[in-house]
Amino acid sequence: MTVEQNFEALDQFPVGMRVLAVDDDQTCLKILETLLRRCHYHVTTTNQAQKALELLRENKNKFDLVISDVDMPDMDGFKLLELVGLEMDLPVIMLSVHSDPKYVMKGVTHGACDYLLKPVRIEELKNIWQHVVRSKSRGSNNNNVGEKRDGSGNEGGGNSDQNNGRANRKRKDQYNEEEDEERDDNDDSSAQKKQRVVWTVELHKKFVAAVNQLGYEKAMPKKILDLMNVEKLTRENVASHLQKFRLYLKRISGVTNQQAIMANSDLHFLQMTSSLNGLDGFHHRPTPVGSGQFHGGTPGMRPFPSNGILGRLNSPSGIGVRNLSSPPAGMFLQNQNDLGKFHHVSSLPLNHSDGGNILQGLPMPLEFDQLQANNNNNIRNMNNNNKSIAGSSMAFPTFSTQQNSLIRAPNNNLVVLEGHPQASPSGFPGHQINKRVEHWSNAVSSSNLPPPQTSNSIHHQFNVSPLPHARPDPLEWNNVSSSYSIPFCDSAASTLSPPALDTTNPGAFSRNTDFDSNANGQPGVFYDSLQMRQSGNYGPTTDAAMLSSNPKEGFVVGQQKLQSGGFMVADAGSLDDIVNSTMKQEQSQGELSGGDMGYGGFSSLRTCI
Amino acid sequence: MQRQVALIKQSLFDQGYLDEQFMELEELQDDANPNFVEEVSALYFKDSARLINNIDQALERGSFDFNRLDNYMHQFKGSSTSIGASKVKTECTKFREYCRAGNAEGCLRTFHQLKKEHSTLRKKLEHYFQLARQAGPKETARRPK
Repeated sequence: MTVEQNFEALDQFPVGMRVLAVDDDQTCLKILETLLRRCHYHVTTTNQAQKALELLRENKNKFDLVISDVDMPDMDGFKLLELVGLEMDLPVIMLSVHSDPKYVMKGVTHGACDYLLKPVRIEELKNIWQHVVRSKSRGSNNNNVGEKRDGSGNEGGGNSDQNNGRANRKRKDQYNEEEDEERDDNDDSSAQKKQRVVWTVELHKKFVAAVNQLGYEKAMPKKILDLMNVEKLTRENVASHLQKFRLYLKRISGVTNQQAIMANSDLHFLQMTSSLNGLDGFHHRPTPVGSGQFHGGTPGMRPFPSNGILGRLNSPSGIGVRNLSSPPAGMFLQNQNDLGKFHHVSSLPLNHSDGGNILQGLPMPLEFDQLQANNNNNIRNMNNNNKSIAGSSMAFPTFSTQQNSLIRAPNNNLVVLEGHPQASPSGFPGHQINKRVEHWSNAVSSSNLPPPQTSNSIHHQFNVSPLPHARPDPLEWNNVSSSYSIPFCDSAASTLSPPALDTTNPGAFSRNTDFDSNANGQPGVFYDSLQMRQSGNYGPTTDAAMLSSNPKEGFVVGQQKLQSGGFMVADAGSLDDIVNSTMKQEQSQGELSGGDMGYGGFSSLRTCI
Repeated sequence: MQRQVALIKQSLFDQGYLDEQFMELEELQDDANPNFVEEVSALYFKDSARLINNIDQALERGSFDFNRLDNYMHQFKGSSTSIGASKVKTECTKFREYCRAGNAEGCLRTFHQLKKEHSTLRKKLEHYFQLARQAGPKETARRPK
């Protein structure tokens, strides 16, 4: 639909807008229906999520907007949200009695374009049509962009895809307007727009299985397509889906971190500092800046993705603090030594020794490391190196189950964002990284850590410390210099990411600035982290988990992160490139965050430690 | 009569049985939806009676599955909030806190209180609606269709 068309439609909007209302509570449903009718919308109601999905699948164009309750007996509202976002790309508004920020965050990261509290007032409903308009116009933009990219494929077009994707993601972002814009762009909507392939759960599972089989980092659309062996599925479809998936992972990791961090910012801080010391070990590792070395390094790092970060949130204390505190560069270094303890650090690129700089900026990475350590996070190493790395490592874990080790931080001290990579598709982190790397090349400019922040400004809050998401930060590392702080904490919902990364977000990520300088220095470091991630192969486990939860979101997020992250060294790709990109990224970091973490904009990598 | 109805309604608010949400619902009532509030109330009581039953059974079993109880209560709270039943809502919140604390006795006590509030509210509302109906269209601006 062209923008012009959209605007024409606006004339009639919001009257006659078709809304699908889902709520298991009959009383609430009736009230909601009446309220919506009062707003002159066309309402369809159902008290079962399954029925709602059927209605939607029957004809996607039948509805403009979906409003759903969060707690429903037959299906979790967030799950429905994801599915709708993934399959139908419709704006979804969440409703709940809970005003707990955690739920709201979850809503955002899962792609809700708004979150309303019950009892719903009619005034609030009067404005919901804006989400529809916004998503429609974003979609148009994306389409255009996407088309161009189509040829480039995911790898190359990461950036543009992401951008496009962003638009699609708009819904999610809408919650955080800031993020929306950024994310939309990144989101890979173009591919989607071109051919509307419905990524059903089954299809997605196949996709994840294929990705895991190939290895997150190595997953290429063509190979995935072959493995999936699905008719009528084109490489472009897979490519864009992969992109989204990566972003999603990023987002997840970021989110977890963020949450964790938010929850225990104080703790995190403390942990960070303490962990940082521990991290020293990591840092010391001779960071083969050359990056190639890192790869081999810590396989553990991989675990970051998805699981760790989110998981981390639980133990945010460790994580959050870390990021926040962003211990002085010096600390990192010192910590690095300890990091060794954490484990894997072995090849951790973190070896700031060279970079020192990186570490400095990276106090966060240390945290990550810890997290990683927990998870075997090689990523931590990465963290050490660059804040960004940390972010990335965190990012990694974030992918999957968010639970990752990252959040565990308290235990590990560093809470290496890695979080449970195991749970979460560890593979993803790798993927993410890859993605990121891709993005970087595209995005190079994208600001160092464009933390998946996609969404919320909340990220900023996390600033730095919270490793927003363990997003596979390859990118993040880079950004670390600038954004270090934020990217990690994706949890903050994407928005964080950028803030941290960019010095522009001075407020939020004060640390970032420091890192920037560092980041440049340590390109190699990032690379390691990336590699580490790759080795981790996040594995199907997490992927599946992640996918199921937020198929769309995850991807998007991940993707975004990668790009913005800057360092996201794609699979040990050319370090040089990464380095370069990192440098650039640092500048642009903001992008990462913009990315569409989809969920919450956690710059996955950033994993808020 | 109409004044009486108004007084009763006012007292319900004053005593804290109902809150602004109820007023919002009343505003939604119009010619197209003349008995909206009453319908919603009926729906609410039907639903909540079912929930209360479930909770009763769960408590009788003595197993105290706090998670499940919490879930029930969450639903209960949701509908109570939507209709504006503030006292009931307060009890729900208390109940959930006890659930989270794992305090079985507290749960029982609160639930007992909750049932009391619930039935009191039900009676009062039924009385109110009855009177309102009797008071006639003028008061509620309801026109027979």
